[in-house]
Amino acid sequence: MELLAVTIGIVIKSLIFIIGMFLLAAYLTLVERKFAGHVQQRPGPLHVGFHGLLQPIADALKVLTKEDIVPNFVDKKLFYLASLMAFVPAIMILAVIPFGEPIKLFGLEIKPYISDVNVALILALAFGSISIYGVIFAGWASNSKYPMIGGLRKAAVLIGYEVALGFALVGPIMLAGSFSLREIVEAQQGFFGAFIWYQPLAFVVYLFSVLAETGRTPFDVQEAEAELVAGYNTEYSGMKFGLFPLAEWYIATFVLSALAVILFFGGWNGPHIFGALSPYIWFLTKLFLVFMFLLWVHWTLPRYRVDQITEIAWKVMLPLTFLNIFITAGIVILKG
Amino acid sequence: MDLHAIAFWSFSALAVLSAFGVVFSKNIVYSVLSLISTLIAVSGLFFNLGAELIGALQILIYAVAIVVFYVLVISTVPQYKGQAVDPKYMLISIPVGFVIFMELAYVSIYGAWSSATGIFSPEVIGEVGNIKAVSSMLFTKYLFPFEVASLILLVAMVGAILLGRKEQVMEEGK
Repeated sequence: MELLAVTIGIVIKSLIFIIGMFLLAAYLTLVERKFAGHVQQRPGPLHVGFHGLLQPIADALKVLTKEDIVPNFVDKKLFYLASLMAFVPAIMILAVIPFGEPIKLFGLEIKPYISDVNVALILALAFGSISIYGVIFAGWASNSKYPMIGGLRKAAVLIGYEVALGFALVGPIMLAGSFSLREIVEAQQGFFGAFIWYQPLAFVVYLFSVLAETGRTPFDVQEAEAELVAGYNTEYSGMKFGLFPLAEWYIATFVLSALAVILFFGGWNGPHIFGALSPYIWFLTKLFLVFMFLLWVHWTLPRYRVDQITEIAWKVMLPLTFLNIFITAGIVILKG
Repeated sequence: MDLHAIAFWSFSALAVLSAFGVVFSKNIVYSVLSLISTLIAVSGLFFNLGAELIGALQILIYAVAIVVFYVLVISTVPQYKGQAVDPKYMLISIPVGFVIFMELAYVSIYGAWSSATGIFSPEVIGEVGNIKAVSSMLFTKYLFPFEVASLILLVAMVGAILLGRKEQVMEEGK
Protein backbone atom coordinates (compact mmCIF):
# COMPACT_ATOMS: atom_id res chain seq x y z
CA MET A 1 0.00 0.00 0.00
CA GLU A 2 2.83 2.31 0.90
CA LEU A 3 4.46 1.46 -2.41
CA LEU A 4 1.34 2.55 -4.27
CA ALA A 5 1.23 5.83 -2.36
CA VAL A 6 4.88 6.58 -3.14
CA THR A 7 4.38 5.79 -6.82
CA ILE A 8 1.28 7.95 -7.09
CA GLY A 9 3.06 10.76 -5.25
CA ILE A 10 5.99 10.70 -7.65
CA VAL A 11 3.72 10.51 -10.70
CA ILE A 12 1.65 13.48 -9.55
CA LYS A 13 4.74 15.53 -8.75
CA SER A 14 6.32 14.73 -12.12
CA LEU A 15 3.09 15.67 -13.91
CA ILE A 16 3.00 18.99 -12.07
CA PHE A 17 6.60 19.69 -13.11
CA ILE A 18 6.04 18.68 -16.74
CA ILE A 19 2.77 20.54 -17.24
CA GLY A 20 4.15 23.56 -15.42
CA MET A 21 7.19 23.51 -17.67
CA PHE A 22 4.98 23.33 -20.78
CA LEU A 23 2.89 26.33 -19.75
CA LEU A 24 5.99 28.24 -18.69
CA ALA A 25 7.75 27.47 -21.98
CA ALA A 26 4.70 28.74 -23.90
CA TYR A 27 4.88 32.04 -22.06
CA LEU A 28 8.67 32.20 -22.35
CA THR A 29 8.11 32.40 -26.12
CA LEU A 30 6.08 35.55 -25.52
CA VAL A 31 8.78 36.97 -23.22
CA GLU A 32 11.39 36.30 -25.85
CA ARG A 33 9.35 37.79 -28.71
CA LYS A 34 8.50 40.91 -26.72
CA PHE A 35 12.13 41.29 -25.66
CA ALA A 36 13.45 40.71 -29.18
CA GLY A 37 10.94 43.23 -30.48
CA HIS A 38 12.04 45.96 -28.13
CA VAL A 39 15.73 45.20 -28.77
CA GLN A 40 15.06 45.76 -32.46
CA GLN A 41 12.84 48.84 -31.83
CA ARG A 42 9.53 47.27 -32.80
CA PRO A 43 6.64 46.43 -30.46
CA GLY A 44 6.58 42.62 -30.83
CA PRO A 45 3.21 40.75 -30.51
CA LEU A 46 0.61 43.40 -29.80
CA HIS A 47 -2.86 42.51 -31.06
CA VAL A 48 -3.90 39.18 -29.49
CA GLY A 49 -5.01 40.16 -26.01
CA PHE A 50 -3.57 43.01 -23.98
CA HIS A 51 -0.07 43.66 -25.42
CA GLY A 52 -0.08 40.17 -26.95
CA LEU A 53 -0.74 38.32 -23.68
CA LEU A 54 -2.83 35.65 -25.42
CA GLN A 55 -0.37 35.19 -28.30
CA PRO A 56 1.17 31.91 -26.96
CA ILE A 57 -2.30 30.32 -26.82
CA ALA A 58 -3.05 31.39 -30.38
CA ASP A 59 0.34 30.06 -31.49
CA ALA A 60 -0.21 26.74 -29.73
CA LEU A 61 -3.62 26.31 -31.36
CA LYS A 62 -2.19 27.18 -34.75
CA VAL A 63 0.73 24.76 -34.46
CA LEU A 64 -1.49 21.94 -33.16
CA THR A 65 -4.17 22.25 -35.85
CA LYS A 66 -1.78 22.70 -38.75
CA GLU A 67 -1.67 20.03 -41.46
CA ASP A 68 1.17 17.67 -40.61
CA ILE A 69 3.20 17.13 -43.75
CA VAL A 70 5.62 14.20 -43.84
CA PRO A 71 7.81 14.23 -46.97
CA ASN A 72 7.84 11.09 -49.13
CA PHE A 73 11.45 10.01 -48.80
CA VAL A 74 12.02 10.49 -45.10
CA ASP A 75 12.69 7.57 -42.78
CA LYS A 76 9.23 7.70 -41.17
CA LYS A 77 9.87 5.97 -37.83
CA LEU A 78 13.02 7.93 -37.11
CA PHE A 79 11.43 11.14 -38.37
CA TYR A 80 8.71 10.87 -35.71
CA LEU A 81 11.08 9.61 -33.04
CA ALA A 82 13.65 12.36 -33.51
CA SER A 83 11.36 15.19 -32.44
CA LEU A 84 10.64 13.30 -29.22
CA MET A 85 14.30 12.45 -28.70
CA ALA A 86 15.14 16.13 -28.73
CA PHE A 87 12.31 17.01 -26.40
CA VAL A 88 12.17 14.32 -23.70
CA PRO A 89 15.79 14.54 -22.40
CA ALA A 90 15.49 18.32 -22.08
CA ILE A 91 12.50 17.93 -19.80
CA MET A 92 14.10 15.00 -17.93
CA ILE A 93 16.72 17.33 -16.44
CA LEU A 94 13.88 18.75 -14.31
CA ALA A 95 13.89 15.47 -12.38
CA VAL A 96 17.14 16.35 -10.60
CA ILE A 97 16.84 20.14 -10.20
CA PRO A 98 15.79 21.33 -6.74
CA PHE A 99 13.71 24.51 -6.58
CA GLY A 100 13.99 25.07 -2.85
CA GLU A 101 14.05 23.54 0.62
CA PRO A 102 11.30 21.13 1.74
CA ILE A 103 8.41 23.02 3.35
CA LYS A 104 5.59 22.02 5.70
CA LEU A 105 2.14 22.76 4.36
CA PHE A 106 -1.05 21.61 6.17
CA GLY A 107 0.99 19.01 8.05
CA LEU A 108 2.39 17.50 4.85
CA GLU A 109 6.04 17.75 3.97
CA ILE A 110 6.31 19.01 0.40
CA LYS A 111 9.62 18.74 -1.39
CA PRO A 112 9.98 21.12 -4.33
CA TYR A 113 12.09 18.63 -6.28
CA ILE A 114 11.48 15.18 -7.74
CA SER A 115 14.64 13.42 -6.57
CA ASP A 116 17.77 14.30 -4.64
CA VAL A 117 20.38 11.82 -5.84
CA ASN A 118 23.97 12.58 -4.93
CA VAL A 119 25.10 12.45 -8.58
CA ALA A 120 22.51 15.02 -9.66
CA LEU A 121 25.00 17.17 -11.51
CA ILE A 122 26.38 14.31 -13.62
CA LEU A 123 22.84 13.19 -14.40
CA ALA A 124 21.85 16.69 -15.50
CA LEU A 125 24.88 16.76 -17.81
CA ALA A 126 24.04 13.30 -19.14
CA PHE A 127 20.40 14.12 -19.92
CA GLY A 128 21.44 17.42 -21.44
CA SER A 129 23.80 15.71 -23.84
CA ILE A 130 21.43 12.88 -24.83
CA SER A 131 19.29 15.44 -26.67
CA ILE A 132 22.10 15.64 -29.25
CA TYR A 133 20.67 12.44 -30.79
CA GLY A 134 17.36 14.12 -31.54
CA VAL A 135 19.17 16.69 -33.63
CA ILE A 136 21.46 14.28 -35.49
CA PHE A 137 18.68 11.77 -36.21
CA ALA A 138 16.32 14.55 -37.31
CA GLY A 139 18.98 15.59 -39.80
CA TRP A 140 19.56 12.04 -41.01
CA ALA A 141 15.91 10.94 -41.17
CA SER A 142 14.90 13.97 -43.22
CA ASN A 143 16.98 12.57 -46.09
CA SER A 144 17.73 16.06 -47.31
CA LYS A 145 20.90 18.12 -47.53
CA TYR A 146 20.22 21.16 -45.33
CA PRO A 147 18.93 19.20 -42.33
CA MET A 148 21.88 16.83 -42.63
CA ILE A 149 24.42 19.67 -42.57
CA GLY A 150 22.54 21.37 -39.73
CA GLY A 151 22.51 18.18 -37.66
CA LEU A 152 26.22 17.54 -38.16
CA ARG A 153 27.10 21.13 -37.30
CA LYS A 154 25.11 20.96 -34.12
CA ALA A 155 26.81 17.70 -33.20
CA ALA A 156 30.27 19.19 -33.75
CA VAL A 157 29.42 22.23 -31.61
CA LEU A 158 27.85 20.12 -28.85
CA ILE A 159 30.76 17.68 -28.60
CA GLY A 160 33.20 20.55 -28.08
CA TYR A 161 31.16 22.46 -25.54
CA GLU A 162 29.97 19.41 -23.57
CA VAL A 163 33.61 18.78 -22.66
CA ALA A 164 34.26 22.40 -21.68
CA LEU A 165 31.00 22.52 -19.72
CA GLY A 166 31.87 19.37 -17.80
CA PHE A 167 35.26 20.69 -16.78
CA ALA A 168 33.86 24.14 -15.92
CA LEU A 169 31.54 22.53 -13.38
CA VAL A 170 34.47 20.91 -11.58
CA GLY A 171 35.33 24.26 -9.90
CA PRO A 172 32.04 24.68 -7.97
CA ILE A 173 32.03 20.96 -7.20
CA MET A 174 35.50 21.21 -5.61
CA LEU A 175 34.49 24.22 -3.51
CA ALA A 176 31.29 22.57 -2.31
CA GLY A 177 32.79 19.10 -1.97
CA SER A 178 29.66 17.45 -3.34
CA PHE A 179 27.79 16.58 -6.54
CA SER A 180 24.41 17.00 -4.90
CA LEU A 181 22.78 20.22 -6.08
CA ARG A 182 21.19 20.80 -2.66
CA GLU A 183 24.53 20.54 -0.89
CA ILE A 184 26.10 22.89 -3.42
CA VAL A 185 23.43 25.49 -2.62
CA GLU A 186 23.89 24.94 1.11
CA ALA A 187 27.63 25.59 0.70
CA GLN A 188 26.93 29.12 -0.57
CA GLN A 189 25.73 31.15 2.42
CA GLY A 190 25.53 34.93 2.41
CA PHE A 191 26.02 37.44 -0.38
CA PHE A 192 29.77 36.85 -0.73
CA GLY A 193 29.35 33.10 -0.31
CA ALA A 194 27.99 32.72 -3.84
CA PHE A 195 30.44 30.84 -6.04
CA ILE A 196 30.37 33.52 -8.74
CA TRP A 197 32.92 35.47 -6.66
CA TYR A 198 35.31 32.52 -6.49
CA GLN A 199 34.68 30.98 -9.91
CA PRO A 200 34.32 33.83 -12.43
CA LEU A 201 36.32 31.90 -15.03
CA ALA A 202 34.13 28.83 -14.70
CA PHE A 203 31.05 31.01 -14.99
CA VAL A 204 32.23 32.59 -18.25
CA VAL A 205 32.92 29.16 -19.75
CA TYR A 206 29.54 27.96 -18.47
CA LEU A 207 27.76 30.87 -20.18
CA PHE A 208 29.48 30.17 -23.50
CA SER A 209 28.59 26.49 -23.22
CA VAL A 210 24.94 27.22 -22.44
CA LEU A 211 24.69 29.48 -25.48
CA ALA A 212 26.28 26.79 -27.64
CA GLU A 213 24.20 23.92 -26.24
CA THR A 214 20.90 25.70 -26.63
CA GLY A 215 21.83 26.96 -30.09
CA ARG A 216 21.42 30.62 -29.27
CA THR A 217 22.84 33.30 -31.45
CA PRO A 218 26.55 33.66 -31.33
CA PHE A 219 26.56 29.88 -31.86
CA ASP A 220 23.37 29.12 -33.81
CA VAL A 221 25.15 27.68 -36.84
CA GLN A 222 22.91 24.62 -36.85
CA GLU A 223 20.03 26.63 -38.22
CA ALA A 224 21.81 29.62 -39.75
CA GLU A 225 18.80 30.60 -41.83
CA ALA A 226 20.80 32.43 -44.49
CA GLU A 227 22.78 29.26 -45.30
CA LEU A 228 20.66 26.28 -44.26
CA VAL A 229 16.99 27.43 -44.56
CA ALA A 230 16.17 26.25 -41.03
CA GLY A 231 18.83 23.63 -40.33
CA TYR A 232 17.85 20.22 -39.01
CA ASN A 233 14.12 20.99 -38.73
CA THR A 234 13.64 22.16 -42.32
CA GLU A 235 11.44 19.20 -43.30
CA TYR A 236 9.27 19.27 -40.19
CA SER A 237 5.86 20.88 -39.90
CA GLY A 238 3.10 21.34 -37.35
CA MET A 239 3.67 20.33 -33.73
CA LYS A 240 6.69 18.15 -34.63
CA PHE A 241 8.36 21.34 -35.83
CA GLY A 242 7.19 23.19 -32.74
CA LEU A 243 8.82 20.71 -30.36
CA PHE A 244 12.37 21.47 -31.52
CA PRO A 245 12.56 25.18 -30.65
CA LEU A 246 10.41 24.55 -27.58
CA ALA A 247 12.92 22.01 -26.30
CA GLU A 248 16.04 23.78 -27.37
CA TRP A 249 15.35 27.47 -26.98
CA TYR A 250 13.03 27.45 -24.00
CA ILE A 251 13.13 24.31 -21.88
CA ALA A 252 16.89 23.67 -22.24
CA THR A 253 17.73 27.34 -21.72
CA PHE A 254 15.43 27.51 -18.70
CA VAL A 255 16.85 24.38 -17.11
CA LEU A 256 20.47 25.36 -17.75
CA SER A 257 19.78 28.83 -16.29
CA ALA A 258 18.39 27.09 -13.21
CA LEU A 259 21.65 25.10 -12.98
CA ALA A 260 23.62 28.35 -13.32
CA VAL A 261 21.65 29.87 -10.43
CA ILE A 262 22.26 26.78 -8.30
CA LEU A 263 25.97 26.55 -9.07
CA PHE A 264 27.03 30.19 -9.14
CA PHE A 265 24.38 32.44 -7.58
CA GLY A 266 23.56 30.64 -4.35
CA GLY A 267 20.29 29.04 -5.48
CA TRP A 268 17.41 29.96 -3.19
CA ASN A 269 19.60 31.66 -0.57
CA GLY A 270 18.71 35.29 0.08
CA PRO A 271 17.37 37.65 2.75
CA HIS A 272 14.09 36.40 4.25
CA ILE A 273 12.08 39.49 3.36
CA PHE A 274 9.12 37.76 1.73
CA GLY A 275 8.28 35.45 4.63
CA ALA A 276 7.87 31.74 3.92
CA LEU A 277 7.88 32.22 0.17
CA SER A 278 11.19 34.06 -0.02
CA PRO A 279 13.37 31.07 -1.15
CA TYR A 280 11.11 30.53 -4.16
CA ILE A 281 10.92 34.22 -4.99
CA TRP A 282 14.70 34.54 -4.82
CA PHE A 283 15.24 31.44 -6.93
CA LEU A 284 12.79 32.50 -9.62
CA THR A 285 14.10 36.09 -9.67
CA LYS A 286 17.68 34.94 -10.16
CA LEU A 287 16.55 32.39 -12.74
CA PHE A 288 14.64 35.05 -14.67
CA LEU A 289 17.64 37.40 -14.63
CA VAL A 290 20.00 34.73 -15.99
CA PHE A 291 17.44 33.77 -18.65
CA MET A 292 17.03 37.40 -19.70
CA PHE A 293 20.80 37.79 -19.88
CA LEU A 294 20.97 34.88 -22.31
CA LEU A 295 18.17 36.47 -24.39
CA TRP A 296 20.03 39.76 -24.35
CA VAL A 297 23.16 38.09 -25.74
CA HIS A 298 21.09 36.24 -28.33
CA TRP A 299 19.37 39.31 -29.75
CA THR A 300 22.43 41.56 -29.73
CA LEU A 301 25.33 39.63 -31.20
CA PRO A 302 25.99 38.41 -34.76
CA ARG A 303 26.80 34.79 -35.54
CA TYR A 304 30.22 33.14 -35.50
CA ARG A 305 31.46 30.95 -38.34
CA VAL A 306 31.23 27.23 -37.65
CA ASP A 307 34.99 26.59 -37.64
CA GLN A 308 35.53 29.54 -35.29
CA ILE A 309 33.05 28.07 -32.84
CA THR A 310 34.71 24.67 -32.54
CA GLU A 311 38.09 26.38 -32.43
CA ILE A 312 37.01 28.50 -29.46
CA ALA A 313 35.69 25.40 -27.71
CA TRP A 314 38.85 23.33 -27.98
CA LYS A 315 41.58 25.99 -27.98
CA VAL A 316 40.24 28.62 -25.59
CA MET A 317 37.46 27.27 -23.38
CA LEU A 318 38.99 23.89 -22.55
CA PRO A 319 42.44 25.27 -21.50
CA LEU A 320 40.68 27.97 -19.46
CA THR A 321 38.74 25.33 -17.53
CA PHE A 322 41.97 23.41 -16.85
CA LEU A 323 43.55 26.60 -15.53
CA ASN A 324 40.49 27.14 -13.35
CA ILE A 325 40.68 23.62 -11.93
CA PHE A 326 44.39 24.06 -11.23
CA ILE A 327 43.92 27.37 -9.38
CA THR A 328 40.88 26.11 -7.45
CA ALA A 329 42.73 22.96 -6.40
CA GLY A 330 45.62 25.09 -5.14
CA ILE A 331 43.29 27.30 -3.12
CA VAL A 332 41.40 24.34 -1.68
CA ILE A 333 44.66 22.68 -0.58
CA LEU A 334 46.06 25.90 0.92
CA LYS A 335 42.89 26.69 2.85
CA GLY A 336 42.65 23.09 3.99
CA MET B 1 6.54 -7.53 -6.09
CA ASP B 2 8.36 -4.48 -4.90
CA LEU B 3 9.49 -1.52 -6.95
CA HIS B 4 13.06 -2.80 -7.32
CA ALA B 5 11.93 -6.08 -8.84
CA ILE B 6 9.61 -4.30 -11.29
CA ALA B 7 12.41 -1.93 -12.28
CA PHE B 8 14.88 -4.82 -12.65
CA TRP B 9 12.65 -6.87 -14.93
CA SER B 10 11.56 -3.97 -17.11
CA PHE B 11 15.10 -2.61 -17.54
CA SER B 12 16.57 -6.03 -18.28
CA ALA B 13 13.78 -6.86 -20.74
CA LEU B 14 14.44 -3.56 -22.48
CA ALA B 15 18.20 -4.18 -22.52
CA VAL B 16 17.85 -7.67 -24.01
CA LEU B 17 15.26 -6.62 -26.58
CA SER B 18 17.36 -3.69 -27.75
CA ALA B 19 20.45 -5.89 -27.85
CA PHE B 20 18.56 -8.10 -30.31
CA GLY B 21 17.78 -4.93 -32.22
CA VAL B 22 21.49 -4.09 -32.44
CA VAL B 23 22.28 -7.47 -33.97
CA PHE B 24 19.32 -8.04 -36.24
CA SER B 25 18.50 -4.59 -37.63
CA LYS B 26 19.13 -4.35 -41.34
CA ASN B 27 19.47 -0.58 -41.17
CA ILE B 28 22.66 0.47 -39.35
CA VAL B 29 21.08 3.65 -38.00
CA TYR B 30 18.45 1.52 -36.26
CA SER B 31 21.24 -0.68 -34.94
CA VAL B 32 22.99 2.24 -33.37
CA LEU B 33 19.68 3.52 -31.98
CA SER B 34 19.13 0.13 -30.33
CA LEU B 35 22.67 0.31 -28.96
CA ILE B 36 21.84 3.62 -27.27
CA SER B 37 18.68 2.07 -25.87
CA THR B 38 20.65 -0.93 -24.52
CA LEU B 39 23.20 1.31 -22.83
CA ILE B 40 20.53 3.44 -21.19
CA ALA B 41 18.65 0.35 -19.98
CA VAL B 42 21.88 -1.02 -18.46
CA SER B 43 22.38 2.32 -16.75
CA GLY B 44 18.89 1.91 -15.32
CA LEU B 45 20.00 -1.47 -13.92
CA PHE B 46 22.97 0.21 -12.23
CA PHE B 47 20.66 2.78 -10.65
CA ASN B 48 18.42 -0.01 -9.46
CA LEU B 49 21.40 -1.68 -7.75
CA GLY B 50 22.28 1.56 -5.97
CA ALA B 51 25.37 2.30 -8.07
CA GLU B 52 24.27 5.79 -9.08
CA LEU B 53 27.74 6.99 -10.04
CA ILE B 54 28.30 4.19 -12.53
CA GLY B 55 24.76 4.62 -13.84
CA ALA B 56 25.19 8.31 -14.49
CA LEU B 57 28.64 7.84 -16.01
CA GLN B 58 27.26 5.01 -18.16
CA ILE B 59 24.83 7.47 -19.76
CA LEU B 60 27.32 10.32 -20.00
CA ILE B 61 30.30 8.38 -21.33
CA TYR B 62 28.94 5.33 -23.16
CA ALA B 63 25.49 6.39 -24.32
CA VAL B 64 26.60 9.89 -25.31
CA ALA B 65 30.31 10.55 -25.63
CA ILE B 66 31.26 7.31 -27.38
CA VAL B 67 28.16 6.40 -29.37
CA VAL B 68 27.85 9.94 -30.69
CA PHE B 69 30.99 9.34 -32.74
CA TYR B 70 29.49 6.12 -34.16
CA VAL B 71 26.39 8.12 -35.03
CA LEU B 72 28.43 10.89 -36.64
CA VAL B 73 30.20 8.41 -38.90
CA ILE B 74 27.14 6.31 -39.67
CA SER B 75 24.85 9.23 -40.40
CA THR B 76 27.13 10.37 -43.21
CA VAL B 77 26.64 6.98 -44.92
CA PRO B 78 23.87 7.14 -47.55
CA GLN B 79 20.77 5.18 -46.67
CA TYR B 80 20.96 2.59 -49.46
CA LYS B 81 24.51 1.65 -48.48
CA GLY B 82 23.50 1.38 -44.84
CA GLN B 83 20.97 -1.33 -45.69
CA ALA B 84 23.34 -3.53 -47.68
CA VAL B 85 24.01 -6.89 -46.03
CA ASP B 86 27.20 -8.85 -46.59
CA PRO B 87 26.76 -12.50 -45.50
CA LYS B 88 30.48 -13.23 -45.27
CA TYR B 89 30.81 -11.05 -42.14
CA MET B 90 28.02 -13.05 -40.56
CA LEU B 91 30.10 -16.22 -40.94
CA ILE B 92 33.07 -14.62 -39.20
CA SER B 93 30.92 -13.23 -36.41
CA ILE B 94 29.53 -16.61 -35.32
CA PRO B 95 32.76 -18.15 -33.90
CA VAL B 96 33.87 -14.81 -32.40
CA GLY B 97 30.51 -14.34 -30.75
CA PHE B 98 30.65 -17.91 -29.43
CA VAL B 99 34.07 -17.36 -27.84
CA ILE B 100 32.90 -14.16 -26.13
CA PHE B 101 29.77 -15.95 -24.92
CA MET B 102 31.85 -18.77 -23.45
CA GLU B 103 34.10 -16.30 -21.67
CA LEU B 104 31.16 -14.45 -20.12
CA ALA B 105 29.53 -17.74 -19.14
CA TYR B 106 32.74 -18.90 -17.48
CA VAL B 107 33.12 -15.65 -15.55
CA SER B 108 29.54 -15.67 -14.33
CA ILE B 109 29.33 -19.36 -13.44
CA TYR B 110 32.70 -19.81 -11.74
CA GLY B 111 32.18 -16.93 -9.39
CA ALA B 112 34.59 -14.24 -10.43
CA TRP B 113 31.90 -11.90 -9.10
CA SER B 114 32.00 -13.27 -5.58
CA SER B 115 35.43 -11.70 -5.06
CA ALA B 116 33.93 -8.22 -5.25
CA THR B 117 33.83 -7.63 -1.50
CA GLY B 118 35.82 -5.07 0.44
CA ILE B 119 35.50 -2.57 3.23
CA PHE B 120 32.58 -0.92 1.44
CA SER B 121 29.54 -2.88 2.52
CA PRO B 122 26.13 -1.53 1.41
CA GLU B 123 25.71 0.15 4.82
CA VAL B 124 28.99 2.07 4.48
CA ILE B 125 28.10 3.10 0.90
CA GLY B 126 24.71 4.31 2.08
CA GLU B 127 26.44 6.53 4.61
CA VAL B 128 29.28 8.08 2.60
CA GLY B 129 27.74 7.88 -0.86
CA ASN B 130 28.92 6.35 -4.10
CA ILE B 131 31.26 9.09 -5.21
CA LYS B 132 33.29 9.29 -2.02
CA ALA B 133 33.62 5.51 -1.89
CA VAL B 134 34.87 5.24 -5.46
CA SER B 135 37.20 8.23 -5.30
CA SER B 136 38.77 7.28 -1.98
CA MET B 137 39.73 3.89 -3.44
CA LEU B 138 40.77 5.37 -6.79
CA PHE B 139 43.13 7.96 -5.29
CA THR B 140 44.69 5.80 -2.60
CA LYS B 141 44.89 2.06 -3.19
CA TYR B 142 44.47 2.05 -6.97
CA LEU B 143 46.29 5.30 -7.76
CA PHE B 144 49.07 3.65 -9.75
CA PRO B 145 46.87 1.44 -12.00
CA PHE B 146 44.60 4.45 -12.51
CA GLU B 147 47.49 6.64 -13.69
CA VAL B 148 48.84 3.84 -15.92
CA ALA B 149 45.40 3.45 -17.52
CA SER B 150 45.22 7.17 -18.25
CA LEU B 151 48.73 7.07 -19.72
CA ILE B 152 47.66 4.27 -22.08
CA LEU B 153 44.67 6.34 -23.13
CA LEU B 154 46.96 9.30 -23.75
CA VAL B 155 49.20 7.19 -25.97
CA ALA B 156 46.16 5.97 -27.91
CA MET B 157 45.01 9.57 -28.33
CA VAL B 158 48.38 10.70 -29.66
CA GLY B 159 48.32 7.79 -32.09
CA ALA B 160 44.84 8.69 -33.30
CA ILE B 161 45.87 12.29 -33.87
CA LEU B 162 48.96 11.15 -35.81
CA LEU B 163 46.85 8.88 -38.03
CA GLY B 164 44.16 11.48 -38.58
CA ARG B 165 46.29 14.53 -39.38
CA LYS B 166 46.45 15.96 -42.86
CA GLU B 167 49.75 15.61 -44.68
CA GLN B 168 49.74 19.17 -45.86
CA VAL B 169 47.29 22.01 -45.50
CA MET B 170 46.29 23.67 -48.76
CA GLU B 171 46.30 27.42 -48.66
CA GLU B 172 43.05 29.03 -49.72
CA GLY B 173 43.00 30.29 -53.32
CA LYS B 174 45.94 28.26 -54.62
